[in-house]
Amino acid sequence: METKRHQKVNRIAALILIVCLLFLPGCWGKREVEELAPLIGIGFDLGKKPGTFLITMQLAKPKQGGGESVAKIEDRTFSVEVASAREATEMVYKISSRIPFMGSLKVIVIGEGAAKAGFNDIIDFAQRFSEFRRTMFLVLTKGKAQTLLNMKLRDGELPAMSIKNHMEQGNNLSTFPTVRLGHYLTILGTQSTAPILPIVESIKSGEDGIEYNNEKEGKELHIQGAGVLHGDQLVDYLTDQETKGYMWLENNVQNRLINTMDDKGNVSFGGQVLKSKTRYKLVNNNGVIGLQYQIQASISVDEVIGIKQQLSEPEWVDLMNQAENSYAKVIKEECELSIIKERDLSLDFLGIGRLIEERNSSYWKTIKDQWEEKIADFPLTVNVQVSVHHSGMSSSSSTTNSVEEGKE
Amino acid sequence: MGTTFLPVASIVSAACGRDGWMIVLPAFVLGIPYGLMVLSLLSQFPNKNLLQISEIVFGKWIGKLIGVFYILITGYFGGLLLGQAGDIYERSIMPLTPIGLFYLGTIILVFYLCKSGIEVFARFSEAVFPLILLALILNLTLSISRIEPGELLPILSEGVMPLFWGGLKVAPFAMEYILFMAGISAFLPTDMKEIGQLRREVCRAVFLVGILDMFVALQQILVFGPFETTRVVYGLLVLGKMVEVSRTVAGVESLFLGVWLGALVIKISAFLFTTVWGLETVMNLKGLKWQIAVCSVFMGIAFGFVRGSALISEIAFVDNYLILPFAAIWILGLWGAVRWKKGKNIRGN
Amino acid sequence: MRSWMKMFKELTLRPKGRQVRKTPAYSFDEDLNKPVSGPKVKEILSKSSDVVFREFYLQGKESIPCIMAGVDGLVDKNLLDQFVLKPLMVDLPGRRELAQVTLANVVDSTIQYLLPGLEIKKISKLGDAINAILSGDAVIFFGESKEAIVIGARGWANSGINEPVAESVIKGPHEGFTETLRINTSLLRRKIKHPSLRLISLKLGELTNTDIVVTYIDKVASPDVVSEVLRRLSVIKMDGVLESGYVEEMIEDFPYSPFPQIAYTERPDVLAGKLLEGKVGIMVDGTPIVLVVPAILTQFLNVNEDYYQRAMTAILFRFVRYIGAFIAITAPSVYIAVTTFHQEIIPTDLLMSIAAGREGVPFPALLEALLMTIVLEILQEAGLRLPKPIGQTIGIVGALIIGDAAVKASLVSPLMVIVIGITAVSSYAIPYYDLSLAVRLTRFPLMVLAGSLGFFGVSVGLYAGLIHLLSLRSFGVPYMSPIAPMRIRSLLQDTFVRAPWWAMKRRPQLLEIENPRSGGKGKE
Repeated sequence: METKRHQKVNRIAALILIVCLLFLPGCWGKREVEELAPLIGIGFDLGKKPGTFLITMQLAKPKQGGGESVAKIEDRTFSVEVASAREATEMVYKISSRIPFMGSLKVIVIGEGAAKAGFNDIIDFAQRFSEFRRTMFLVLTKGKAQTLLNMKLRDGELPAMSIKNHMEQGNNLSTFPTVRLGHYLTILGTQSTAPILPIVESIKSGEDGIEYNNEKEGKELHIQGAGVLHGDQLVDYLTDQETKGYMWLENNVQNRLINTMDDKGNVSFGGQVLKSKTRYKLVNNNGVIGLQYQIQASISVDEVIGIKQQLSEPEWVDLMNQAENSYAKVIKEECELSIIKERDLSLDFLGIGRLIEERNSSYWKTIKDQWEEKIADFPLTVNVQVSVHHSGMSSSSSTTNSVEEGKE
Repeated sequence: MGTTFLPVASIVSAACGRDGWMIVLPAFVLGIPYGLMVLSLLSQFPNKNLLQISEIVFGKWIGKLIGVFYILITGYFGGLLLGQAGDIYERSIMPLTPIGLFYLGTIILVFYLCKSGIEVFARFSEAVFPLILLALILNLTLSISRIEPGELLPILSEGVMPLFWGGLKVAPFAMEYILFMAGISAFLPTDMKEIGQLRREVCRAVFLVGILDMFVALQQILVFGPFETTRVVYGLLVLGKMVEVSRTVAGVESLFLGVWLGALVIKISAFLFTTVWGLETVMNLKGLKWQIAVCSVFMGIAFGFVRGSALISEIAFVDNYLILPFAAIWILGLWGAVRWKKGKNIRGN
Repeated sequence: MRSWMKMFKELTLRPKGRQVRKTPAYSFDEDLNKPVSGPKVKEILSKSSDVVFREFYLQGKESIPCIMAGVDGLVDKNLLDQFVLKPLMVDLPGRRELAQVTLANVVDSTIQYLLPGLEIKKISKLGDAINAILSGDAVIFFGESKEAIVIGARGWANSGINEPVAESVIKGPHEGFTETLRINTSLLRRKIKHPSLRLISLKLGELTNTDIVVTYIDKVASPDVVSEVLRRLSVIKMDGVLESGYVEEMIEDFPYSPFPQIAYTERPDVLAGKLLEGKVGIMVDGTPIVLVVPAILTQFLNVNEDYYQRAMTAILFRFVRYIGAFIAITAPSVYIAVTTFHQEIIPTDLLMSIAAGREGVPFPALLEALLMTIVLEILQEAGLRLPKPIGQTIGIVGALIIGDAAVKASLVSPLMVIVIGITAVSSYAIPYYDLSLAVRLTRFPLMVLAGSLGFFGVSVGLYAGLIHLLSLRSFGVPYMSPIAPMRIRSLLQDTFVRAPWWAMKRRPQLLEIENPRSGGKGKE
């Protein structure tokens, strides 16, 4: 009896399942791939009306290349002046024949105006809406984000894609911080540290010593320097040097190209940082607590400039020691520049407050409230140790002794 | 136990900041003495669940009263968990799909599992647990590259007291497990050797889940920092979103969600089982139709809490103010009463 | 923790010079060293139906009762009839010596005067006698005599034994069962020459009267399983049994499940291996396919070649097979779910090329995948029944139409072709045809679920499938064991990995029974 009833229930359950399966393809929330317009980059500027933002959305439109199945990306960039990001989506939706798809967003560009006014309200959407990821990059631009995203690049790439590729390779260069949304939010969460964002700029031929063939239409992008924020408001820019110092002090340098050229005409070196590590130490100097940075770097010597003669082996060893010192000097200079900047701004973008908290939380509690005033005279020292691992495939220079033109 | 992974970090970091991860394991270990109490009761009253034992020890009416409480709490909580299944999916990966479908899909699984019986349920958990483990480990290891340096320091800057409160918030997780044990006890083997084995199993399970939960909390604090950890609703999912395997795969939370669904199914089934057993012992209501009835009650509760924020605070409320005190007092009281009676009997003789 | 260490050690340390295989203890073990005795041998061997005993009187003398024993199928019956039984039974007049034959000298006299064969040997130990019988010789016992005669009468069928097409191997024996039951039992007997191998004869089918043999190894197979098999077979009432599939459907536990709950094989070595693991075989006359029960899911993904190859390579290939099975089930549904619901998983560049590929395809992804899968199934089914030369045409037409033309005509997207191709290839990695059929079947509901509810649907479908599998039992053995209920020893020995033979110390744990496979360990 029991089994019979069981069988009946089984059959009914199976029937319900089959019916469900048949009627399920109602397709709730379904979007076919080709109906989507993937959003690659988004830019925030201030709108003309107060309280509004000018949001620029860079959508990609995949297109089948004629005959081949290689995808080509077409650019569709819209700018809309709205009060909220959702409204912007609506506006874009109205224009575009496809669904703007947020899941592929990689780069958020914040224009100068929006950065100065504060952009947390508009960025809230990016960290709340489920399609977004906290791994996307945040960048600043001097000028308007709109112009940056609307720029035509010489290789035809979308500006947002180009920025994304730049950022992904940031570690190899280590001259600018790669800031992901998650990192930015975490820094905000510490409350004492000031966030810092890299700056993307377009460069024309001839600017910054870079020239390129102007015949082809378009411009090039580069990332250099950084902006310091107070909370979500842009306060000041860091120069390239200061940003590099920041990278050293933050233990963010992985591989970097470095050179010791100066005006004095000394022998100078160019090389690549192979490895670097920054350690922090709180030192108590007669009751005055200070922070000591210890930077250890391994650098190669890839070029030597300015030796006029062949060197003997011991001389070469000496020269390499000299190289270590000059490298250390350059690094130290960069670091000190950024420390000076920090003191000038009274903004703790180097995260010194956190470092103190990590190492001596009771002391931190006593100075926490006046921290911004304290930054200016908080004792900081930088120790740099460089070891030159090798000088490449040759020692000495290519000039020979016999041709002693340069010798005085 | 499986679903504790999702909210645990947020709860502990809210209560005790960056030191929250430390309290997770101790709070779970708190469950062990309770588990042992249940087992010792079981060895004295073989083949009876704790409700039947309460009726024997406290008398019929108090026993029934406890039983009604038990049914209400487990039934209500099971429904809330079902709501959570929908909430997780709607919130994180499929915002446009009607939430009812998530409820429906989950409840079909739960019902199917319960209809297949306790043995299949045990095997299901056994089979799904390695998956959960694997997903957790993958999730944690793949997000290592997103760790922010130094977020864990300083340790214990706020002193030990917040840890205690954090522990109170985590302890209900262990108690949920104990409540299920109270119901399942009628099905457990009763000879002494196997009870010894069960004891080890209980300890092992508690420790395993405790340690995993600890790592989950630890990792989130490492990646997000304490402030963000508190703010993120389902931290582990956000962690899943941040996974990037070079440039090929980005964000595999929808895959991980499949595993969490399995965990949720286990948990909801556990509560369905306990509710059904409760109905069986207290009101003598047996059979499939009551299972269906309980399932529909679950659905009803879930539909009552389609508002995610209300749901989460309601779950926290039931955890902290119903499950924790109820399980703590009931089982301790029962165990104490049995001990006391036994002592009196020996003296009496 | 310590038990884990112990288990790990046990599995990894190679026993030096230790005996790795040992049979369980049998009641007749002690008798094997005793002198020969006809009735005793009969007692030991008569439980198997393929051992035949011929009782007669030597030269009609009632004082000398004789028993001749041999295995049906292994001995040459013609030779025995003509040159053994005939001279022994038929009185030859004029032989004086034979008149005085007594029990004391019967063995010598028989060899000297009566048996014409060349290969004739005298033995005195019971164990030797049993060995000789099971190896295919005939043995004659004389009353109470302490000696017996072994007659080299091996003569088994060699013709008609071909390698099974459906179960081919690279390394391993190339012989397969035939349509004749007797030949099949003899093939098995030649693999396992031990009295504990039992063959029990039954007849099924009221009109066909098909011979059925249930075979197992005593004390290795669980008695519960054996009696359950016999019980289920005995209640079958049908008019005809033409193939083992008839029996399979009548005795399986869950007829509505798409998953095979009874394994089958056409290879004697596989059957012997399974019997040694404690399983029970069911041979049906008229078919080379032998059923093996109880079956567990993972067994369908393991093949006999795993045991012949080196353990490391076997582990790799098992891994490949498991992955293949998983892909075969999930690939189309995951593709559908990802492209219609969870595009955020796809890397941006790939997303672009998928989208570009789907540009102009008139069907939604779900319909596209369903269509392609159905076409694939049609192609498979069409190719299966056609004669070989035409079958190749199907392949070419399929490849051209599905692969190239359909993409060029923008009927399907190129990626879908790849996905379907991978799915098809993966499903061929499943060694058991029955299981790959089940996989092909479960693909469809999963695809529909994926198309309507994305990964949620896929997970619900997979979990429902898992619950279904977990609730299955094959002759009392949980279908998903040793995964759930978890048996760590079996998991580490012979499920996802194949431990080297020296580490496989125990037989697989089916039910709660645990048998020692090796010396020493099991006796503690």
